[in-house]
Amino acid sequence: MKSLSCLAGVAALAVALVPVAAGAQAVVGSPAPAFTATDSHGQTHSLTEYRGKYVVLEWHNHDCPYTKKHYASGNMQSLQKEWTTKGVVWFTVISSAPGQQGYVTDSEENAYLDQMHAVPTAVLMDPEGKLGHLFSAKTTPEMYVIDPEGKLIYEGAIDDHATPDVSDIKGADNYLNDALMESMSGKPVAHAYTRSYGCSVKYAN
Amino acid sequence: MRRFRLICALIAAFAAVPLAFAASNSADVAHLRVQLVFPNQNLNTGAPANAGLYFKLESGWHVYWENAGDSGEPPHIQWTLPAGVTASAMQFPAPQRLPLGPLMDFGYENEVLFPFTVKAAAPAKPGSFVLHAKVDWLVCREVCIPGKAELDQNVNVVSGAPVVDLTSPSDQELWNRLANAIPRALPSSDTAIFQPMPSGFRLAVTTGQRETQAAFFPEDEDVLDNPAPQTVTPTATGLILDLKKDANLTKIPAQMNGVLELAGGRNYEIAATPGTVAAPPAAPAFSFAALASTVFFAFLGGLLLNLMPCVFPVLFLKGLALVQSGAEERHKLRAHGLVYTMGILVSFWALVGLLLGLRAAGATLGWGFQFQSPIFLLVLAGLLFFFGLSLAGQFEIGLTLTSAGGSLAAKQDYMGSFFTGVLAVIVATPCTAPFMGAAIGYALAQPAAVTFAIFTALALGLAAPYVALTLQPAWTRMLPKPGVWMEILKQAVSVPIFGTVIWLTWVVAEAYGANLLLALLSIFLLLAIAGWFLGRWPAQRWATLVAVLLLLTALAACITAPRELAEAPSEKSALTSVGAARGAWQPWSTDGVQRALAAGQPVFVDFTASWCLSCQVNERVALSQPEVMQAFGERNVALFKADWTREDPAITQALTALGRSGVPVYALYSPGQSDPQLLPQVLTPGIVLDAINKLPTGAATPVSAVSSKQQ
Repeated sequence: MKSLSCLAGVAALAVALVPVAAGAQAVVGSPAPAFTATDSHGQTHSLTEYRGKYVVLEWHNHDCPYTKKHYASGNMQSLQKEWTTKGVVWFTVISSAPGQQGYVTDSEENAYLDQMHAVPTAVLMDPEGKLGHLFSAKTTPEMYVIDPEGKLIYEGAIDDHATPDVSDIKGADNYLNDALMESMSGKPVAHAYTRSYGCSVKYAN
Repeated sequence: MRRFRLICALIAAFAAVPLAFAASNSADVAHLRVQLVFPNQNLNTGAPANAGLYFKLESGWHVYWENAGDSGEPPHIQWTLPAGVTASAMQFPAPQRLPLGPLMDFGYENEVLFPFTVKAAAPAKPGSFVLHAKVDWLVCREVCIPGKAELDQNVNVVSGAPVVDLTSPSDQELWNRLANAIPRALPSSDTAIFQPMPSGFRLAVTTGQRETQAAFFPEDEDVLDNPAPQTVTPTATGLILDLKKDANLTKIPAQMNGVLELAGGRNYEIAATPGTVAAPPAAPAFSFAALASTVFFAFLGGLLLNLMPCVFPVLFLKGLALVQSGAEERHKLRAHGLVYTMGILVSFWALVGLLLGLRAAGATLGWGFQFQSPIFLLVLAGLLFFFGLSLAGQFEIGLTLTSAGGSLAAKQDYMGSFFTGVLAVIVATPCTAPFMGAAIGYALAQPAAVTFAIFTALALGLAAPYVALTLQPAWTRMLPKPGVWMEILKQAVSVPIFGTVIWLTWVVAEAYGANLLLALLSIFLLLAIAGWFLGRWPAQRWATLVAVLLLLTALAACITAPRELAEAPSEKSALTSVGAARGAWQPWSTDGVQRALAAGQPVFVDFTASWCLSCQVNERVALSQPEVMQAFGERNVALFKADWTREDPAITQALTALGRSGVPVYALYSPGQSDPQLLPQVLTPGIVLDAINKLPTGAATPVSAVSSKQQ
């Protein structure tokens, strides 16, 4: 009797925990989920508009020490400059919920861009975490690359030195550069999925 | 521009990473203290010596396991050592799951020790040396702060017996207390295999005993979907664990490596090899015998419910109605009994339907959940108060029990019988009588048809005494003839009704604070005024209208007040429900229980709620008795109180894991055993003392046994 009801309890738990079917999720090698989002100037962007171009998504939190590493050193800005001049669309995405670390208003973000000389195509404001959940973004910084056919070809860390130290940028293998260069020269992306490092994305709890 | 970048880089380097320079073996930095632990600073050449890196964390902050999960970084240590001295890699104790919104990290809170060994061999010569360690870590709460420290440890290399004793008692204490949290190798008699499934992996581990609780921590990153719940299915000799894979995993790993944490603080290093896992029994195999016995117990439980203090007043009223119906014909009596039964059945079915529906929708609820809604509490208290006023004689309501004969009145009587049944069910639910807990736990896991069969048995049990009376006219004849005494009795019955109102009022005050209590008392006032209108000007349309308006206002207040006035739950309320020995009880958490068990302490968990009368009674007559508290103290039992007064998914899950869906539940865990002993739902000091005395002696792991683990 006891063991039966115990088993029954476990089975009940199993039933209760069956996850609710989620919508399309980002998986490397598959088409990236379609999205529409508003940037820090109030303009909307949808992924389908950029078919035919490479799209980079960069998850961002200006107060995260790992993000600071790449901005204070100017590393992220030079990547943005390099790739946007080559026609790549670069979206910085902010998924911090209001009240959480890294949450900014449109004007604060625009001031930050000026101050840091950051040049993404646009900064997508995602305080509800919709875009973050769609792509299962876990950390800041975390990078995604979508190819001209709309396929997700890279997800993960910006490079292979998982530290907050500026001195570790030099000599790191930059996975973002690798993915874009390999794909543009018609090669498969060697490291298509890596463990991203950094602070957790500050979603609403 | 270049200079700007350089300055920024320098600022970042210093501002983002607080660096602690210390010519000592410890450093106090933001949110933590980090320290090298050397129980003995004499290093005997050729023999590895125990050492560790220790973190003491501020409450709420954590550092990470070697696989940090969705975010985070484990601590690192980099040595500068004299020639001939080597340090082994740090070992990581079993972590805990650290949920963070939709993400899941693995790490440590409060304190953690990462053990390693240091060995001196040729060309190291006897003498004193400094071991220099560069340590870095990431410490997080909601935000993350990377940290670094340089630590220096003095050691003395000796060959043979040391001249000076260099043992450090405080380091020894830390090492002995914490180094045993390192997962052990799975005994060679036990096996671990995994089978890839469409959505993940099925991991089967044998340990020689039934395992009901487990958590698997993957050593490799990006193999599992970290936040996904892990479903445990106990088997006779171990368990089966269903794990969800990372959506981006393309290659099935050749081995599934990680740490398996089991009940009682047991941790094993797992290296599962691919194989075929026998499918776990999806649901307990349907057995007619089991069903029949459960249905029988459910019926018995229903019968017993009649004697519960929550139901008895209702039954009393029913008996009263029966006396009045005694003059009627037999078939009418039977009809009343059937209608009453229908009232009970319909409300049980409605409740179960609701519960199953909500469960399917993903909410984890349990029996008695309706008492976790302040709106329900207010409505029920108001309803009973209004009912009490009527019984006490302030006014007569349409469903009055004294109305006699006539087809119209008879119809109203059927309504009355029906709603008496409904009321009996509503007030019975918090008194989860013996047998009920197991029956409900079993029922909720069954296919809907079986569940309804069981609840029907429960309902029939509750209705049985009254139905028996209506079917046996012989028994009815023994009941006294109607008369003036009925009016007196009716008024007397208002006393237990008001008693119930007092109890509900206390529950509201206890769980939601003085402001909501004020709202409830004001609702009572509105009801009293409505009752006054009905009683002073009976059958006047305008008076009825005024009363109805007042009642609607009261109902609106019931619905809106909780949102405006209910207080947030406080730590205080979790503990005040224990009358005595408040300090001995800690608020329950899975981690707390696991930690106590890991430290070798037996654990007693009191699953309770302030709306649960039997819980209060048990706490007063058994748990808070001096001899019981003393016995708990003597056996060093860690006492936890899981307060389910408000909805708490963690407690609901824990109850489900124990096969129960309501309170009270009393669980006694002893270290090293996976299944707790469940005590009966009606406690006496003797029952508790017996259970404590039966705890295996020497349950506490002798701490000294641990230090001999190094080879």
